[in-house]
Amino acid sequence: MQRPWWQRVLLSVWVRPVLLVLVLLVLWDLTIRLFRIPPYLIPSPWSVVAQLQAEWPRLLKESIPTTYATLGGFVLSIAFGIPMALVIAYSRTVESFVYPLLVFSQSVPKIAIAPLFVVWFGFGIIPKVIAAFMLGFFPVVVSTVMGFKSVDPDMLDLARSMKAGRLETFMRISLPQALPSIFAGLKVSITLAVVGAVVGEFVGSNSGIGYLLQIANGNFDLPLMFAALTVLSGIGVLLFVAIDVVERLMIPWHASQRHDLAATP
Amino acid sequence: MMKRLAFLAAALYALSSAPALAQGKDKVVLLLNWYVYSEHAPFFLGKARGYYDQEGIDLDIQEGRGSGVTVQAVAAGTANFGYADVPTMMKAASKGAPVIAVGVALQTSPMSVMGYADHNIRKPEDIKGKTVAVTPGDSMSQIWPLFLKKTGLKDSDFKTVAGDAQTKLNAVINNQADLLLGYVMDQAIKLQDATHKQVYPIRFADYGVNMVSSGIIVQKDFLKQKPDLVKRFMRATTKSLEEAAKNPEAAVDAMLAANPKSGVKDTALVGMKNTAALYKGPDNPKDLPLRVGEKNMNETLALLVEYGGLDKSSAGKATDYYTNDYLP
Repeated sequence: MQRPWWQRVLLSVWVRPVLLVLVLLVLWDLTIRLFRIPPYLIPSPWSVVAQLQAEWPRLLKESIPTTYATLGGFVLSIAFGIPMALVIAYSRTVESFVYPLLVFSQSVPKIAIAPLFVVWFGFGIIPKVIAAFMLGFFPVVVSTVMGFKSVDPDMLDLARSMKAGRLETFMRISLPQALPSIFAGLKVSITLAVVGAVVGEFVGSNSGIGYLLQIANGNFDLPLMFAALTVLSGIGVLLFVAIDVVERLMIPWHASQRHDLAATP
Repeated sequence: MMKRLAFLAAALYALSSAPALAQGKDKVVLLLNWYVYSEHAPFFLGKARGYYDQEGIDLDIQEGRGSGVTVQAVAAGTANFGYADVPTMMKAASKGAPVIAVGVALQTSPMSVMGYADHNIRKPEDIKGKTVAVTPGDSMSQIWPLFLKKTGLKDSDFKTVAGDAQTKLNAVINNQADLLLGYVMDQAIKLQDATHKQVYPIRFADYGVNMVSSGIIVQKDFLKQKPDLVKRFMRATTKSLEEAAKNPEAAVDAMLAANPKSGVKDTALVGMKNTAALYKGPDNPKDLPLRVGEKNMNETLALLVEYGGLDKSSAGKATDYYTNDYLP
């Protein structure tokens, strides 16, 4: 049975979050009116939208360096995180040496050491990339380790009994079975990398969304601040969706990717 | 609703201060603009010597995280009194924050551009070809273009690096920058403490940049409800500032006794002396601390409108932002 067109539009995956955002905006506006919250504490949603429109070219320009730093940190997270996770997953000795230290390092507040990155690496893009890397690295390692450790041992036995080589076992059984978990880690990683890049920009930068946030803060320009935060979250969402697309292409067989088929009436 | 909240807050406040009331004292929170350093020494002197006690005030001095946050906290009623950058308060007030300055402590601007004395950067022309560290969006970076205009420098004459307050110091300490924009009694002292090298500040005030700085701010409703408490607080504060200017060493001792981590005695003493030197403005009626001249405030407002991102349409008059009525 076909639903009427407006129901299909309302229920489509792309419209649902937009609807929720609209509801939240209205709630935001109502709260401000109801409790008479002054604009120097929380700006009204419409002043943020107006500022988004007015400052759009500048916001777009400043979002480019932030995106670069985020992607740089993310690529480093993959380049270091996945090989390290592999070694940890396959060697108990390495795991016992490295893993506790890794957890320890993760608990160091990055914001506290970020000023040192500028001292060590100067004022260019590198300290921002490193800050993004420091935040994005850990989830990649943890979920990759988990992915490889939860490979079905029966499958490995089967491969061994059929005389599959180590590489073949890895490529055909371990890696595919670990991929869903790895992608889960990558998704967490990219959103944290955005935060890391902005932390880096707060500490020392002539450009980027973090720089714009500082200026807005100095001028009590809360609408501009919220507009910059909106753009920042937008960057995070776009990068997240990009990984989601790659995930669909690489593991179309996994249960998490099959919902589209199952949900079709 | 805000009124009801305010009432609730007042009720809670009354409850929490019940033991204090038993002794007949008002519990007062003074929120500073930053972590404690020499500029704040007078308040500790006043507390240690009992100037606030004598006015029936039980003073609680709390460290701040920047003037902007202090202004917001005072506007929201979280703190009774704030010690904050008055121009920052004016920006917030022009955006609707119900705050007013009841005394301006630093009537000459402490803003300066500073580097190591042995690098011989002593005049604006010496800045040419050097690297300057700034914090984007802060009050100094906003007034910096005016200093450049007054001294005939151009943006292209020097290089700029930007970072937060700590990065600015690190940049000069690690020779990533030759100079930084800072306060004569704050960053200059921190640089000296960290490197044991002499620092030479070029003061903006010496090149025609007249702008007030830190002052005491209160919420307008609070001022209306407790004018007497504000008067007593300002009387004690005036005495504290006067005595600290006369006995900087005693002030620094009181600060270090209450907050051993807030500095090193020798340099904190220099900082306190540099602070006291800023108590007088270009027009200082009656020659008492905290009493700011109208001309000085007018000039400050004009600068904020022209350089400081304060909207002309909502600027109003200088007298909207301060009052001397609660001073002795």
